[in-house]
Order: sequence, then structure tokens, then C-alpha cells
Amino acid sequence: MSFTPEIYIQAKALTKQVQLTDSTLTILQHIDLTINRGDSVAIVGASGSGKSTLLGILAGLDTATSGEVYLAGQPLHALDDDARAELRARQVGFVFQSFLLLPSLSALENVTLPAELAGIKNATQRGRELLALVGLTERADFYPSQMSGGEQQRVAIARAFITKPAILFADEPSANLDETTGAKIEDLLFELNAQQGTTLVLVTHNPALAKRCAKQATMQAGHLTMAVAEVTSVA
Amino acid sequence: MWPNVAWRLFWRELKRGELWVIAFALCLAVFTVVSLSGITESVRSALAQRSANFIAADKILRSSLPFNEAIFEKAATLQVKSAKQMQFSTMVFAGDEMQLVSVKAVSASYPLRGKLTLRQHEAVDAPIVPTFSQGEVFLEPRLLQLLQIKAGDMIEVGVSQLKVAGVIAEEPDAPLSVFGNAPRLLMHVDDVAATEVVQPGSRIGYRYQFAGSDALLTQLETEVKSLLTLHDRWQKLDRESAVGSALDRAEKFLLLAGLLGIVLAACAAAVAASQYSQRHAMSVAVIKALGVTTATARKIYASHLSLVTLLSVSIGLALGQFASSSAQWAIVNWLGDYQAEFSSRPLWLGLLTAVICAGLFSARPIWRLAAVPALNVLRQRQQEWQFDIWHLATGAVAVWLLMWLFSGDLWLSAWLFLLCVAFAALLLGMAAVIVKVAKPMSAGQSSALRLALANLRRRLWPNSFQLITFSLALFLTLLLYFLRAELIGQWQQQVPVGAANQFLVNITEAEKPQISALLTKNQLTAGNYYPMISGRVLSVNNETLTEPDAENSDKAESENRDTANRDTAERKKGEQQADQTGTAANAETAERRRGIGRELNLTWLSQMPANNEVVKGQWFVDGGKAEVSVEVELAERLDLAIGDTIGFSVGGQQFSAKVSSFRKVDWNSLQPNFFMILSPDLMATFPATYLTAFYLPPAQQPLLNQLARQFPTVSVLSVDNILKQINDIIAQVSLALTVILALVFAAAVLVLVAQVQATLEQRQQELAILRTLGAKTVFLRRAVLAEFAALGLMAGVFATVLAEILLAVLQVRLFELPFSLHWNLWWIGPGLGMLLITGLGYLLLRKLLIVDAPTLLRRALQ
Ligand SMILES: Nc1ncnc2c1ncn2[C@@H]1O[C@H](COP(=O)(O)OP(=O)(O)O)[C@@H](O)[C@H]1O
Ligand SMILES: [Mg+2]
Repeated sequence: MSFTPEIYIQAKALTKQVQLTDSTLTILQHIDLTINRGDSVAIVGASGSGKSTLLGILAGLDTATSGEVYLAGQPLHALDDDARAELRARQVGFVFQSFLLLPSLSALENVTLPAELAGIKNATQRGRELLALVGLTERADFYPSQMSGGEQQRVAIARAFITKPAILFADEPSANLDETTGAKIEDLLFELNAQQGTTLVLVTHNPALAKRCAKQATMQAGHLTMAVAEVTSVA
Repeated sequence: MWPNVAWRLFWRELKRGELWVIAFALCLAVFTVVSLSGITESVRSALAQRSANFIAADKILRSSLPFNEAIFEKAATLQVKSAKQMQFSTMVFAGDEMQLVSVKAVSASYPLRGKLTLRQHEAVDAPIVPTFSQGEVFLEPRLLQLLQIKAGDMIEVGVSQLKVAGVIAEEPDAPLSVFGNAPRLLMHVDDVAATEVVQPGSRIGYRYQFAGSDALLTQLETEVKSLLTLHDRWQKLDRESAVGSALDRAEKFLLLAGLLGIVLAACAAAVAASQYSQRHAMSVAVIKALGVTTATARKIYASHLSLVTLLSVSIGLALGQFASSSAQWAIVNWLGDYQAEFSSRPLWLGLLTAVICAGLFSARPIWRLAAVPALNVLRQRQQEWQFDIWHLATGAVAVWLLMWLFSGDLWLSAWLFLLCVAFAALLLGMAAVIVKVAKPMSAGQSSALRLALANLRRRLWPNSFQLITFSLALFLTLLLYFLRAELIGQWQQQVPVGAANQFLVNITEAEKPQISALLTKNQLTAGNYYPMISGRVLSVNNETLTEPDAENSDKAESENRDTANRDTAERKKGEQQADQTGTAANAETAERRRGIGRELNLTWLSQMPANNEVVKGQWFVDGGKAEVSVEVELAERLDLAIGDTIGFSVGGQQFSAKVSSFRKVDWNSLQPNFFMILSPDLMATFPATYLTAFYLPPAQQPLLNQLARQFPTVSVLSVDNILKQINDIIAQVSLALTVILALVFAAAVLVLVAQVQATLEQRQQELAILRTLGAKTVFLRRAVLAEFAALGLMAGVFATVLAEILLAVLQVRLFELPFSLHWNLWWIGPGLGMLLITGLGYLLLRKLLIVDAPTLLRRALQ
């Protein structure tokens, strides 16, 4: 039951260099990567190996020094900041390592924020549904400072799905949490991902977590190697 | 869409207190400017009105020509109040006695400002005469004795017989000098013609007195311009007298306080805005990652800024206006006759301040805030806030512009501004050095202290702005505190408590011990007895000086006018002399210029009076030998040089003396002062009378009556009213200075609070980490206190050094006070810095210190 998957992200010969005071640091070297719609891909690697940098470029938060990136058919490398922002608003969801909720908004408001910014109607309704899905119905009116780290990350996950993004980028989503809470967060993330049919790019240095993804890629000193070949089925 | 989000964020942040610091800072800036300039303006106009009392009018036109009724008509059409006054000297007769008097003839509306008190007779508690009418005269009490008459008698003035209806107890425009004046006679201006005293060539001073609002008076001045001749001139407010200079200095102080208030407020706004930006950097990165463009982010935060500005400006304007209205109300309550005027200047200055503070101090950080890259969401560390030279430069220029606008004084504002800039640069340099030096120092200290030092060092460089604002706030407070003390001290020294308020003149050698005994019996102390004798200057270097004649008087008048328009020192003399003795003095000045003294009070002393200062030559050595010391301005007029010989005539006998020194005399001191002091050897053979002065408490006033009865030939001159007026003004000005000092201090404290709050976030993280590492509350508290104490001490020392330097410069340049070091400053400055900053820091951080580790951690990791 094999079919030709639709390519969702394609990176060609990506190189990222940063200029330091007296030298040039190469963070990413000539990276080629293809991610299909509906895929779940884990990027693993030691701390400082360039995982976040790659994620940033793939998500259109950053630009590469050379090479091409296509996201949903759009050439990110050719778009300006604003065009990339609009693309993110429509297509991309994020879950960050340090949650990054807006401290002055309640849980529900944090969840609905992307929808409101994108001008989506009935955001509150969908926000409540998502909060229910992550098990935080009771916490809708809590502020981030009143919630535990795990709760905050669940709010962040709900926020990531509010705009029904085609792709979700998660940068070490459980790294700031204790093991049990982290595991619950991971379960939730995969569950929602499966349910919504979202493409997932997950950065982690936890091999166990990486195993839950259909594909794994390893970052090492700026080079990327796909560890596992195509898996047979995609949910 | 974004407006909804912006609106929601705005309200949420307002509710959570996120925007408060910035709102507060803007509010403070507006409030400071509005209230300070409002209060300054009220105090200034109250003081101007107060000093108007000293000339019994708001404005005076002086003339040597008879009154031009057209000018009074112009005033009437403008609804400016007016009064007429003539001043001249003449002889009056009562029976066999005669006496030269200085006549002041006034119209019924006199005085337009201030208070005239007339009493039925010379007893201090005699009934008050409410009005005076034609045919009546009122005399200075000593004139009754000189003429040997009592209230109710008739006297001859020219060819008229006028009734002595009582005595002058209080006169608003009384001369401030006690000596050399003929005694005063007050009469009705409409009686003057009948006396036939005024003849062609007579020297009469005509004064048009006006009272009304500034605007009307200015209009009057322009409208009557065409009616004025060479013989008319507007009298300036006397700025050189004791009162005048006190007011002048107070005004300068208020101005300075206002300028410093602006600097402080601008600092607060700058601190708050950059703090706000720092706190929101991550939120901006998040919403940008969520797909918001930079332009939209800018719109969201700009709308926040506009709303905050609108809110805080309205509150600031309202509060500022309220404060200045309250001050005005207090002034009205206190001065009674003060008329408050509404001025819109403080309000538009406040608005302008808000626009500049919001525009330059807040808009730029918020503009940069929106430019924070979305990529930051993936970075674990917060982006370091970069030093924004443009922000600083534009902000600095704006502050200076504001200072200039506020003060209207380019020199002062530029100077003060450059000083603050130099100060900031100096502190930045010092901070850099300390960062380097503090490293090895911190080894081997107790661990709390080491942590404090380490924290300080780590934050000192990136946050040396904090140190600068701390120091600046302290410095400005110290500066104002000490200037205020200095000014008040100087004023009190000018008129010390218990300063002599009664002068006894014409005491014979035999009466000296009796008077001393009487005073001692009443627990009073007499001062020195100064010998006094009338004499004339006959010649300078054997060149005889001629008598003036009536024909010269006009020339004399115009010469005097020229003199009055020259430099300040000259004007001072011209004004003072003219004020004191009217036309007689004008003539006298002119006479003196040609070298002929009328009768001159001469004294001889072996010791120089305490408030005199030799400016050239040398004071008598061993009592001197046929020498004379001349008051320096008189010496200039007489064109004297050290070593010249002056010929005198005393009681028909002639002798000469060599000029051995020139003295500077403080004419404001209300102490006996003399133009010429002779060496004792010259005068020993002449029969002299003596002058002494003493302080009489108000309760013992009846003693004056006893003195007058017991020593009929001794004249009592009371300067009590003058002293009281001066003391009143000094008390009022002192209170105004104190209020303004309190305001500036409050502004400084608010800057400190804003600044400490700016670092709360960072501290929260640190405390969380330290807590997790197992640090105890006591330890953390000690470390925090030690850090703030060190910071406060450092800021205090910087502030002290700078305050001392600036005080010295201001004292000498702006306030013309003698230079002095302020020893108190050296412990108050660092002490205040340490206490204030430690106290504030502890108060603000207290909550963080008692929060348990998990909560802290959770907050820190948000
Ligand atoms: N703008 C930058 N300037 C300098 N060094 C950078 C910059 N961005 C990333 N790096 C460096 O590149 C390396 C990779 O960073 P990152 O992608 O965050 O690693 P990872 O997420 O795998 O831990 C790190 O050593 C980091 O310090
Ligand atoms: Mg990373």
C-alpha cells in the first residue's frame, strides 16, 4: 500500500554560517531534507549541534546563508520577513521548550491568540474545545504564573493547534519538565498530532522520544543524517 | 485582528500592572513639570506682588515735571488703578522750632499696594486713623520731638497752616535706610499747591503709581509712550535691596529646581520605557513567531504606548494642576492680599513634556521592541539589550530643549545639561573601572558579601545606567537640599533673629551711661556707641569745591538718570538714594558728584565695623594719623585716589585728612553705616553725639515711650516694620523652597523605584536559581541588602562629589554667595544613598525573598 507522498517541506543544500568577530562559524553544512505531508520527523543530536537552527530555518523564523527551503510549495528563501510571517500564521504551529505563553493573558486567551491574530472567527469556542482536549477546562481563566510547567505546556500545545496548522514544529517540548510530566506532554502531542493529521517536526535530544516519530534524523556537527529509512505506513 | 488583540493586551497589562511603571513615569514627568512650573509661577507672582508692597504700587513712573493728567486718564480707561505722589524737602515751622523734612504728598488712593498705618499719637498702642483728608499732616514720631509739638497742634508748611493729625506708624514704601534722611511728613497732594512751596526750579519728584495685572500694565506702558518726555522714566523693581536680592535668589532656586525636576522625570520615563521593552521582548518574539509581521507588532505596541500616554498625561495634567492650584490657594490664604492668576503655561509645558518623553524616550525603545526577531523563541537566553546611542542622543537633546523652554535661559539650561551629560559619562567610565577592580577584591569575603559583589559586578556594566540614575537622583536632591539651606542661612544672616530694630540717635556723652542703665534694667543690651558729628567736605587735594545752584538742578536730575541706567552697581546707588530721600537725594547725588557734600555724618573709629571690607589701601594702623577711610562708591564719584587729601569743615573749624583706604559697605545690613570714617586723633577735640542700636522685643514696646519722656533730645528710629517685612518674605520663600524640595525628592524616589523594579525580573530568576541550589532566606536577604547598600553607597559618593562641585559653582556664579565647603554633605550624601536605596530595594524585593522556591522557579521560567 505504497503511494507517492506529497512533499511538504524540502530543503536543498542548506548552509548556515554566522559571522563572529574574527571567524566564521558554520552551524549547518549542506543539508538536504524532505518531509512529506503527514510525516512525523524527529531531529536528534547533542546540545549545540544545530537542531534549533535547522528548525528555525525550516519554520521560516530564520534564513539560511545559502540553499533553498520550500514550505507548502512556497520558496522560503525567496520570501521577505513579512511574507514568511503570513505563511507561518496560516500553516505553522509551534511548541517551545520554555512554553512561551504571554504572561498577561489567561490560558484561554493564550490559546486563542493565534486565531485572533489571523482573524479566525469562533476562536473562543475552538479554544475551549482544545483546552478540554488537553484536560485544562478548569484552568481556562488561569494566568501562566498560576499554572505548573506541565499545565503551561499543555496550554502551549492547545495554542499550537488552534489555527489548524498543516505543520507543527516542536523544539524540545519536554526538556523543561520532569520525566512523568514530560511523558504526558509527549503523549498529548502525539495524540493531537494524529487526531489533527498534522505534519510534525520534533527536535529532541531524547532518543526514546525520537523513536515515537516515523522518521529520525540525526544532527552532528552541522551535518544531518537520516537514521531510519521510510516507514511503511502513515497515520 | 490586531486591534482586538492590542486592546485586550492593553487592558490585561494595565490590570496586571505591566504598564504601570511606564504610565507612572510619564505621569510623573507631566506632574513634575506642571506642578513645579505652576508653583514657581505662583510664588514668583506672589513675590512680585509682595515686593510691589515695598513700593506701594506695581509700577511707578518717575518724573521731574508736574503731573500730566493725560497719563492718569489713559490708566483710568484701561482700568488700571493709579495714585499720585510728590516728594520734596522743605523746612517746616512750629512756634520757634524749625526742621528740614522730607515731604511725601499723596493722593487719597495711596497706597495702591501694602499697608499704611496712621495713629492718633506717638504711643505704640494709640488708636488707628483710618483715613486722612486735606488739611491734615502725619509726621514721623521723632519729628514731634524735634519740633516740640504734639498731635493736634498746627504746623506751617510753606505758607499753609496744617493740622498734625497723628503719626506714621507703618509706611509701605518707607526708605530701607535709617540714616541721612530728613524726617518724613505725609500730606495730601492737593494741599501742595496752596503751600506755595513748589516754585519754578524747585526740586520735586513726581511719581505716578499704578496697580493692575501685568498685561494691563504692559499695555499702559506702550500706550503712554508718546506722552513721555526725557524727564519721565519707569522705575524698575528694586532688585538690589535685601528683599530684592532674596526674591531674586528664590526665583533662581525655583527655576533650578524645575530644571532638575525635568531631568529626573525624563530619566524615569527612559528607565520605564527600556524596562518595558526588556520585559516584552519575548512576548513580541512569540507573537511574531505566531505569524505577526513587524509592522503589525509595531502597531500593537504603539497603540499601547499611545493609550498609556493619553491616560497618564491626563492624570498628570490633572494632578499637576491640582497641586499648583492648592499651592496657589495656600499662598492666597497666607498672603491675604495676593491675587492668584490662572496661567496656561504650566499646562502646555506639561503636554510638551509628555510628547517629548513619550516620543523620544518611549517611542524609540518600543520601535526597537517590535523589531525583535521571531527567531528569539528558539534561543534559550534572552537577547542582551543593546546600548542605543541614538536613543540616548535624541533623548538628551530633547531634555535640553525642554529645559530651555522651561527656563527661557539658554545659558543656564545648556550649562546644567552639559554637566549632567559629563556626569553620566564619568560614571560610565567609573563603572567600567570598578568592574575590572572588583573581581580580585571579592575573593576572601564572607559568602553573602561575595555573592552581592559578584551580582553587582555582573550587573554593573550592563546596568550602569541604573547607577547613573541613582546617582543623578541623589545628586539633584542633595544639590537642592543644600542650596536651600544655604539660601535660607544667608537670608537669616542678613537679618538675624534679635537684630537691632531700634536706633537711638543724638545721645550726649552724659546720657550714654544712663541709657545703658535703663536698657540693662529692662534686660536689654545696647550695642556700640558710635560717635557722630555733622561736617562738610570742602576740598579735594586743596581744590575747593563750589556750591551748586538751582539752575543746575535739571542737569543734575538727568545726570542722575544716566547714572541709573548704567551698570547694576551704579543703578543700585542711584535707585537707593533716590528711593530713600526723593528729590533731595537726587540733588544730593548730583552735588556729591561735583564734590560738595551737604551735611555729612562723620564718625571716627579705631576699629573697622564688622560688615565693612577694605577694598583698597589699608585700615588705620595704630588708630591712624589724620587719615580718612572712604566708602568705595563715594570715592569713585569724588574721583579719589589713595593718598589724596580731603579738607573738612566741622562746626566752623577746618582740617584735612589723607585718604588711606576705600571700604565696601553692605547697605542692606540695617547696621549703622558711614560714608567717611576718620581716624580718632582728628576728632577727639570735637563735641560729638552718639548713636547706638538695640533689639527691643515686641512685648517691651512701651519702653519706647519711656525713653522718649526720659531723654527728650534723643531720637528713636524704629526699623521694626522693615525687619518684619523682610522676615515675612524670607519665611514665605523658605517654605516655598521646602515644598519644592519635597517635590523633587519625591520625583527622585520614584526614579529609584522605577529603576529597582526594572531589575526585578532578572533578580527573580537569580533568586530562583539560588533557592534551588539551597540558599537560605537569611542568606539571600543579606546578599540582596549588601548589594543595594554597596550600590547606594557608590551612588551616594558620586552624587556627593558632583553636588559639592556644582554647589560651589552655583553659589559663586548664579547666587553670588561666598564659596564654602559643605562638610555635612560628605556624610549625608553617602548615608542617604545607602539608606534610601537599601530601604527601597528591600521593600520592593521583600516579596520575592519570602516566596518558596518552586513558585519562584515557576515564575522565573515563564
Ligand atoms: N546567531 C548566532 N551566533 C553565534 N552562534 C550561534 C548563533 N546561533 C547559533 N549559534 C551556535 O550554533 C550552535 C548550534 O546552536 P543550536 O541550533 O541552538 O543548537 P541545539 O538546538 O542543537 O542545541 C551553538 O553552538 C550555538 O551557540
Ligand atoms: Mg536547541
